[in-house]
Amino acid sequence: MIRFENVTKTYKGSTVALRDVTLDIDKGEFVFMVGASGSGKTTFIRLLLREELPDQGRILEAGRDIVHLPKWRVPYLRRNIGCVFQDFRLLPNKSVFENVAFALEVIGRPKHVVSTQVPQVLDLVGLSKKRDNLPGELSGGEQQRVAVARAFVNRPLILLADEPTGNLDPATSQGIMQLLDRINRTGTTVVVATHDEILVNWMRRRVVELDHGTVVRDQARGVYGIDAGPGAIEPEPPAQATG
Amino acid sequence: MPVSVDYVTRETASNLWRNRLMTIAAVLTVAVSLSLVGAALLLRQGAAKAEVDWQRGTQVTVWMQPAAGTAEVNAVSTELTALSYVQQPCIYRNQHQNYKQAEVLLTPDEFSVLKVSDMPTSYWCTPAQPQDAKEVIARFSGQPGVRNVTAPLAQIHSEEEAITVIQAVFLVVALVLLVSAAVLILNTIRMAIFARRREVSVMKLVGATNWFIRVPFMSEGMIQGLIGSGLAAAAVYGLHVVLNHIGNPDNPGAVFTQMRMTGWEVFATDVVVVLVGVFIGTLGSAIAIRRFLDV
Repeated sequence: MIRFENVTKTYKGSTVALRDVTLDIDKGEFVFMVGASGSGKTTFIRLLLREELPDQGRILEAGRDIVHLPKWRVPYLRRNIGCVFQDFRLLPNKSVFENVAFALEVIGRPKHVVSTQVPQVLDLVGLSKKRDNLPGELSGGEQQRVAVARAFVNRPLILLADEPTGNLDPATSQGIMQLLDRINRTGTTVVVATHDEILVNWMRRRVVELDHGTVVRDQARGVYGIDAGPGAIEPEPPAQATG
Repeated sequence: MPVSVDYVTRETASNLWRNRLMTIAAVLTVAVSLSLVGAALLLRQGAAKAEVDWQRGTQVTVWMQPAAGTAEVNAVSTELTALSYVQQPCIYRNQHQNYKQAEVLLTPDEFSVLKVSDMPTSYWCTPAQPQDAKEVIARFSGQPGVRNVTAPLAQIHSEEEAITVIQAVFLVVALVLLVSAAVLILNTIRMAIFARRREVSVMKLVGATNWFIRVPFMSEGMIQGLIGSGLAAAAVYGLHVVLNHIGNPDNPGAVFTQMRMTGWEVFATDVVVVLVGVFIGTLGSAIAIRRFLDV
């Protein structure tokens, strides 16, 4: 599903964000990207979204080289990727329903599809009763649920989450992770960049650790810190999708 | 994917209302700037109108020799009547009429030595265009029975120069104001879009194409430009009413009277003002949003 081949990304001032990274993520996998601040996690996500271009290497998504994708095709690429961020990035003037519906409007889905799919996904994230509230009227956890709903309403192949629990308390964070896990069980590939040790250890999914832009650990059913348990370095095959 | 009219209408209306302070700022900027541009254009038109009025009275006088025979006088008369670039009829003044006019123009001492028989007869003609006066002078000078042909050429020349300068000044003022207006409007729209850059980044994130994002913003700019320039057009019309009020038709020599314009002439200026407003509003938005689309 996602393939990085010898990808290097350097920012101005010769800061190396990613150094010769080679990585495969299969369809339906749930992967944690961990590492200290500045290790390259966010750059990894930005490269997948084509917000940045690598200096070297190839990036393939669903078999397509996104590095050489023409600029005008980038919006179409993003329609197959859902995104969740630490700061939610909701439209403050739109209601919960409108925020989620916006992702469908953008890709030209007809009204009847919008009116069917949005309630379904709001039900999934447990916000059916708050569909008419504005983001400012919701708690942080609820806002992040709206962001997850917006990311998933389009049934993307890949869901990327950059520190999705960074602004949330542990209990709420766990709820968001369970939600991402449910989405993953539908067959969507989920990549989460995080610092949250408790959640990574609790989930026991594949962990890729970055250090100064280099992959230093790739462990199936890993934990946040170094774990020399079985499965280290070589990832296990992805879990079977259930729907 | 085409952008739906329903989406654009809904987004434009809600954004204009939600950002109403910025909308008011943009509309007022367009209104004030384009009012000044329109006023400059109106005054330029007024100056052109005054020039026509000033020159309309330009006359050429063909002075005959006092001793010119009837045949010579008739020949000049026939020739003048045939000229297409001279307004008909030309006015003939006999020796007695010119003698009486001399009494008004000359001092008593000068007039006392004059006799009716010394006075020439004359033809007073109005050329269709002031510059045709030169043609008339060239045609009749030296003709049998003609003493000389006169016209206020120096006056025409200086009037033309003065009006040309005035028109150029108004045109330059209008252009400078137009550029200032464009920059002001662009800056206001840019500030409005800057305040919403986060919204644009979210749109990009969920896969909106550049046109999908751009069209509602352009539509907002167009409406702001339309309302602002509509107000400016009203201000220009107001200026026209004031100028016409000051210009008293009973005093045809007054500058403001000669600058009086018809409603159609003002309407044409207003159309220019509205078109410029809509154009700057729409294009300004398109330019202002460009840098935020490159994500």
